[in-house]
Amino acid sequence: MPGRLDAPLKVTGRAKYGVDNNFPGMVYGYVVLSTIANGEIEAIDGAAAKSAAGVIGVYSPFDPLVLGKASTPLLGETWVPLQSKEVTYYGQPIGFVVAETFEQARDAASLVQVTYQQRPARTSLADGLAEAEDAPASRGEDPALSILAEDVESIEDAFAASPVVVDQTYTTATQNHTAMEPHSAVAVWESGVMTIYSGNQGAYFQAMELAGALGLEQDAVHAVNPFVGGAFGGKGRTSTPAFLAAAAARALGRPVKASLTREQVFTATAGRAATVQRIALGAHRDGRLVALRHDSWCSTDMARSFVEPTSHGTSREWYATENLAISQKMVPLNIPPTTFMRAPGEASGSFALESAMDELAVALDLDPIELRLRNNSIAPPGKDLQWSSKHLDECFRIGADRFGWANRAKHGHTDGDWLVGMGMATAMFPALRFPATVEVTLRADETAEVATAGADPGTGLLTVLSLVGAESLDIPGERITPKLGDSALPPGGMSGGSTATASAGTAIMIAAAKVIDDLLAAASAPGAPFEGEEPTYADGRVHGNRGTMTFGEVLRALGRESLAAKGSSAPGEELTKHSFSSFGAQFAEVRVHRLTREARVSRMLGVFDAGRIINDQAARSQIKGGMIWGVSAALHEGLEIEANGRLANGDLAGYLIPVNADIPDVEVHFVEYPDTLHNAVGARGLGEISTVGMAAAVANAIHNATGIRVRDIPITIESLLD
Amino acid sequence: MDIALEVNGRTEELSIDPGVTLLDALRERLDITGPKKGCDRGQCGACTVHVGGRPVLSCLTLAATVTKPVATIESLADGEELHPVQQAFVDQDALQCGFCTSGQIMSAVAAVEQDVEDVREFMSGNLCRCSAYPNIVAAVEQVRQANATV
Repeated sequence: MPGRLDAPLKVTGRAKYGVDNNFPGMVYGYVVLSTIANGEIEAIDGAAAKSAAGVIGVYSPFDPLVLGKASTPLLGETWVPLQSKEVTYYGQPIGFVVAETFEQARDAASLVQVTYQQRPARTSLADGLAEAEDAPASRGEDPALSILAEDVESIEDAFAASPVVVDQTYTTATQNHTAMEPHSAVAVWESGVMTIYSGNQGAYFQAMELAGALGLEQDAVHAVNPFVGGAFGGKGRTSTPAFLAAAAARALGRPVKASLTREQVFTATAGRAATVQRIALGAHRDGRLVALRHDSWCSTDMARSFVEPTSHGTSREWYATENLAISQKMVPLNIPPTTFMRAPGEASGSFALESAMDELAVALDLDPIELRLRNNSIAPPGKDLQWSSKHLDECFRIGADRFGWANRAKHGHTDGDWLVGMGMATAMFPALRFPATVEVTLRADETAEVATAGADPGTGLLTVLSLVGAESLDIPGERITPKLGDSALPPGGMSGGSTATASAGTAIMIAAAKVIDDLLAAASAPGAPFEGEEPTYADGRVHGNRGTMTFGEVLRALGRESLAAKGSSAPGEELTKHSFSSFGAQFAEVRVHRLTREARVSRMLGVFDAGRIINDQAARSQIKGGMIWGVSAALHEGLEIEANGRLANGDLAGYLIPVNADIPDVEVHFVEYPDTLHNAVGARGLGEISTVGMAAAVANAIHNATGIRVRDIPITIESLLD
Repeated sequence: MDIALEVNGRTEELSIDPGVTLLDALRERLDITGPKKGCDRGQCGACTVHVGGRPVLSCLTLAATVTKPVATIESLADGEELHPVQQAFVDQDALQCGFCTSGQIMSAVAAVEQDVEDVREFMSGNLCRCSAYPNIVAAVEQVRQANATV
């Protein structure tokens, strides 16, 4: 198994991320943010900034860089900066200063004077619950729905008939993706073409959004993102620096580099909503669910840009229950925009659902794994379409064995001053695909190119292109040149929704089959080496009655440099036949100090059923990272929003994410059942499922260790005091 | 002001504002872009370089104050021959997006050179949001074990 193909470039500092591109005559932009959360900008006095050393442009809603609408068919419209005087959150981009150097732009930005007509801000989710609005339809279903057994009138009746009921409310914190690369861009305007170097989850979509905003044809925008310094859902849309750098580069006729500062990333992008979730579980005494009710509320910005679908992402599908009722509401607030963040819906929803399942197991005096096995589903409740390939029971069995679950005591155990407990949780994430197009090119020099626009934000997609390309063309991986991260390449390949391997991989197989067909047709055409024959293809060679030739030899005999074919894939007929999901079992061992109440994760194991694994090493790495994200949600990260909308901890000193010393060894195991009902490659996604369930596993382990049930994450020392 | 920086064995003359950090001098004046700006506040470690053989945060260091030789990630490999720590990062898949990797490796080289007692603690100044932490520890241990058997 080859390593990550771009690793040598990344370990030597030669991998060029967006702002690593420097050009002669380049100038620097610095974004100015609002210091109120709700109101209208009355005036912006940029005189001092304009006369500061090196300044060549000061832009604001009063003197804007004109930007039009930006949208993509996949994700709809996105916000563009500086086109309105309305401020709806603290830290909203309201200005842009361009100067000869970074330091000059930064200094001048601090001279911009803004006066506001300020209005009271609504910033508290808890205070806004009473005025929550119904969320829009989620995943094709109504925001509120119920599925009742025959003869059951209401979900309330189902609970009344349940011998055992647990009913609790859980909360999760506002989060930020915190990719290590701040949102940033270098824009170059030359001969009517805008070239943008900016980390993004899909080059083609970024070019489309910028073309819309700049009023250009799509082919007049060239988005280049061969390396992306982390994304996690936070770079699915074109960023404020990219819009502003591009517009300024065109206005000024000079290359412009712009980056958000780390503090600005926390407000001038978008993050994960905070949630409040009430879950009620009604069960028979043997643990089988009679009723499951999951009511969710989440924060959102005033534009209502994204709803965190916690009920629809978990309870809607996870367990066999006789009766189900879910609802999703949203609370618009004067806070930064919300968007997708690693396992949107499932990550926060699973904390609530899997904590509640643990509470039910305690109430029933039943092993938590046994409880889940007794509610194993063969299809989502109320749906006829069975799971295409589900081996969750095997994940539990293997996980319990490897983790030593049998040694778990009902009330944990002690090790010196440490209270030690074990917890577990189910993980599920839907197996999806997005439309993708890949071009496969055979070359006369015996190499082949596999190309798609897309992006590899650390997921290993570049390596996957090579591996699936090599397999599809039946040649060694060293002869494949994968190409990615350039909008000039065939469209699609958005790295999001854990879809890229399944989407691009299927397209590669289709393109490869096509190019092989074309090769055989050309090889047997009149005047060609296999004229009149019906040659076959294997091992990178064309085989006929008169012998065999490599594809390069055939191309050279035909006087051709190359032969290319495109393949496209999109979700299709399979959706009418099965339900699709990845599955997993998460395990955590947590130690809580008897006196200081510090909680430390000491062991973690995740066992996953994610179809076929294409690159074992990269898959394990990604899974480990996602599991650590779950630990982070449980014990570390959460944004604190002050009453005036300012983030109290919007930097990397105050917004805690795990450091190396916080994390123990992490064990990952795959049960590999290729899911060819989902796609020809047999791979389902694994970027997001690894985060799902882990926060609950940690909280459940803490309960096992201490007897304290914490229903609000992140869990802090205060919540563990006796 | 005019300064001279010795970077990766070359002496570079620069005329800069006194407020220019070592990181911005490297990245924006000298086009040495291996060190990354993840926070510009000394909170993430992505900008780690060696000054006088010790790891420092180049975003918290004013270029004009630097008198000792500076070594960046670009100086580690010998042509196409990777430094053992770089090779270990490749072998152990100790990176995903790669944005923090330059800083991680400069800290890891110091961890190996100083033969630190607690690798996890020593490496905790370098954030990795992809969370490659277990693999980063494995990479440092790979080099330490190789050194121990020499």
